[in-house]
Amino acid sequence: MSFVITLISLAGLYALLSAKLIFALQLIVYAGAIMSLIVFIIMFLNIQPDDLPKEETKLLYILGSMVVVLPIGLFLFKIVKSLPITSTEIIGNNFGGVKQVGLLLFKDWLVPFEIVSILLLISLIGAVVLAGKRGMSK
Amino acid sequence: MIHNYLFLSCILFCLGIVGVISRRNVFTVFMSIELMLNAANLAFVTFSRIHESMDGHVLAMMVMAVAAAEAALALAVVILLHKHKSKLDTNVFSLLKG
Repeated sequence: MSFVITLISLAGLYALLSAKLIFALQLIVYAGAIMSLIVFIIMFLNIQPDDLPKEETKLLYILGSMVVVLPIGLFLFKIVKSLPITSTEIIGNNFGGVKQVGLLLFKDWLVPFEIVSILLLISLIGAVVLAGKRGMSK
Repeated sequence: MIHNYLFLSCILFCLGIVGVISRRNVFTVFMSIELMLNAANLAFVTFSRIHESMDGHVLAMMVMAVAAAEAALALAVVILLHKHKSKLDTNVFSLLKG
């Protein structure tokens, strides 16, 4: 699927922006974990072609939503154009390395980090409760 | 040119919105949402490169964690949906309508 290629090339862009940790995380978390989860679920569900919705008016919907989104996109483009130009050379001195980002994460961003960990725990429990109900009810 | 990264981020975000609005396949909608999260990530990392501070990287990591949590929950919901209705149509969700 082209979604995988998009994710992997985004990882390459992160490497070009000298964000080494984010590059590795993108490859591991997105291209590794989330994609394999999606593919596994698609295989697990054993989807028949008539399970999928028939989208006869798909093209119409795509055109309509493009009309809706186009002003927003042009607005964003205008904002981006007004930004000053910065070079994108790879910068050294460990910018974006694991140590620097980790120090920042555990010093300045400790409370959001803990909140994210609680969120992950809750979603873990929620996923088990939602998907595991089948085993209990039998 | 750093603008190109931001342009790509805008394009990805708009594509994600178009996908969420116009498609009815659950998996396509889910992947469009992931695409939008990735566009936000790219914008975060680009801005942190512009300002040469690493706060954007930390935020991008948090967005990734949220995306992973969302993926797990959304796929659990998809399994339930397929089990009850054996359909992968987002219109099935309208049975919650009062």
